[in-house]
Amino acid sequence: MGLKGGRTDAFKLIFGVCAFISVVILFLIIAFTLKNAVPAFYRKLLTFENLWAAEYNKFGLYTLVASTAIVSAGSLAISTPIGILSALFIAKFTPSYLRDAFKTVVEFLAMIPSVIYGFIGYMFLAPAVARLFGLNFGQNALSASIVLAVMVVPTIVSLSTEVIMSVPREYEEAAMALGARGWQTLLHVTIPTAMPGIVSSVMLAFGRAIGETIAVLMVAGCPTKLSGPIWNFLQPVYPMTAAIAMGMGEAEAGGAHYHALFAVAAILLVFVFVVNFAADILRGRAPRRMVA
Amino acid sequence: MRGRFVDKMLTAVCGLSFTLLALALVGLLYILSPGLKTLTPSFLFLSIHEGGVLEPTVGTIYLFAGGAAIVAPIGTFTAVYMVEYAPKSLLTRLVDRTINNLAGVPSIIFGLFGFTFFCKFMGLGVSLLSGWLTMACMMLPIMVRSVEEVLRTVPESVREASLSLGATKWQTVRHVILPAVMPGILTGIVLSMARISGETAAILFTACFYTMRGLPRTVLDPVLTLTYYLFIHVVAKPGELDMPSLFGLALTLFMVTITLSSAAFALRAYFRRRWRI
Repeated sequence: MGLKGGRTDAFKLIFGVCAFISVVILFLIIAFTLKNAVPAFYRKLLTFENLWAAEYNKFGLYTLVASTAIVSAGSLAISTPIGILSALFIAKFTPSYLRDAFKTVVEFLAMIPSVIYGFIGYMFLAPAVARLFGLNFGQNALSASIVLAVMVVPTIVSLSTEVIMSVPREYEEAAMALGARGWQTLLHVTIPTAMPGIVSSVMLAFGRAIGETIAVLMVAGCPTKLSGPIWNFLQPVYPMTAAIAMGMGEAEAGGAHYHALFAVAAILLVFVFVVNFAADILRGRAPRRMVA
Repeated sequence: MRGRFVDKMLTAVCGLSFTLLALALVGLLYILSPGLKTLTPSFLFLSIHEGGVLEPTVGTIYLFAGGAAIVAPIGTFTAVYMVEYAPKSLLTRLVDRTINNLAGVPSIIFGLFGFTFFCKFMGLGVSLLSGWLTMACMMLPIMVRSVEEVLRTVPESVREASLSLGATKWQTVRHVILPAVMPGILTGIVLSMARISGETAAILFTACFYTMRGLPRTVLDPVLTLTYYLFIHVVAKPGELDMPSLFGLALTLFMVTITLSSAAFALRAYFRRRWRI
């Protein structure tokens, strides 16, 4: 017995060590990003001006952060209404035998590689946007927002569908019993109950939108400075992720540009963690249907 | 009467939104469809020097096969620890939190981390091996969650039956639990591969090299993947590949990713039905 007990403990230890690896990885990601970002902060490389040009040693955060803000706000403005309405459709207006098929349609959108979205955006969407608005270049915030919207909408649809379907049936039945119509039940009972979960799905989509790189880079235009005010969606933009992807190839290790890029990565990481943390908390708030 | 009208309007608006998404998918397929003409056996099996995509395709397979081989045992063991050994321990809660956070880390950050840690700190350079390790880090959340989902469906009575026959915890895990969750492991592996096959940002500075033109001979050689090959020909060297080749390339990549994802979806649906989740 003693031997067997010892063996069980040994296996528990092995499994435990494997489980601990993920913690180590996350720690290393944070540590290595910060380690390379810190010099940028104490050497005061970063400014808040509207110019990000490595060749002049100008690292103005405004250009990148504002670009990321424009593009993610734009993509959410498109994907949130469409995503929530689609989720309602799948959860409430679809017969159950079609539900899985419809969910799969949306999940397929999520599985398409970002470089293909970028390719299609570059080849078709950007020229179409240019023609529509009479611009010379179609690679701008609007194109990037549309591409991103398609990429993050599956997150909203999948999670919202799940949350809407887990609203306790009794709530809705109680409303119906009081004489409420379908839309009244939906508007006054189902949606308010599912709201924390829906907001959480939008937050997660926001997190994905901030972090998406390749597709955005291919359609955003990537100028060194923003030419217009922050609400101008027809100007080319240079989001944080794009700056990292474009800059790392040429940044000399240990140089100013290198550290500046890691500082951008650190800021990005903080954004993403805050957004995901908020989404996590909200998701915990949604009431769940009791499963027997 | 007004109520019924609003009901119908609401259904219509919701249906319209979903139709829009379905149309987006159809539109994407339609745009990529000209690539079908390029997609001949000679295109797939000729070297890139002769106008084919053999090296990027094989490179993609190398990358996801290796990444999956690394992540499969680690992910499975992590899930087994969390569900079987210590469902309520401090470590489990910590790992659970970590997995959520890891899943939210943008792939470009994984790329930077892979570059500073695997390529430079560990001295592996820009190589297939660095790519595998970086990919394994990225895939860990998917793998753990897939196995975890299936582990939670194994009825408690099965474990109790095994333990009551005198089996130790490890014997139960080895002979009862692991065989039962094989489908979850398989789904996790295929899903991870699908994710890796479409990844670009994380391999940009870890596994791929601008001038790489052949297949890697050792694991310390850089590798060429479909995603990277498409990316540099659109962004860095436009005009080097003609349009039909670009579309053929995009479609090949699309096929690889979609085949893997469909396989994963099908596996999951099949086993979910069998286990009545």
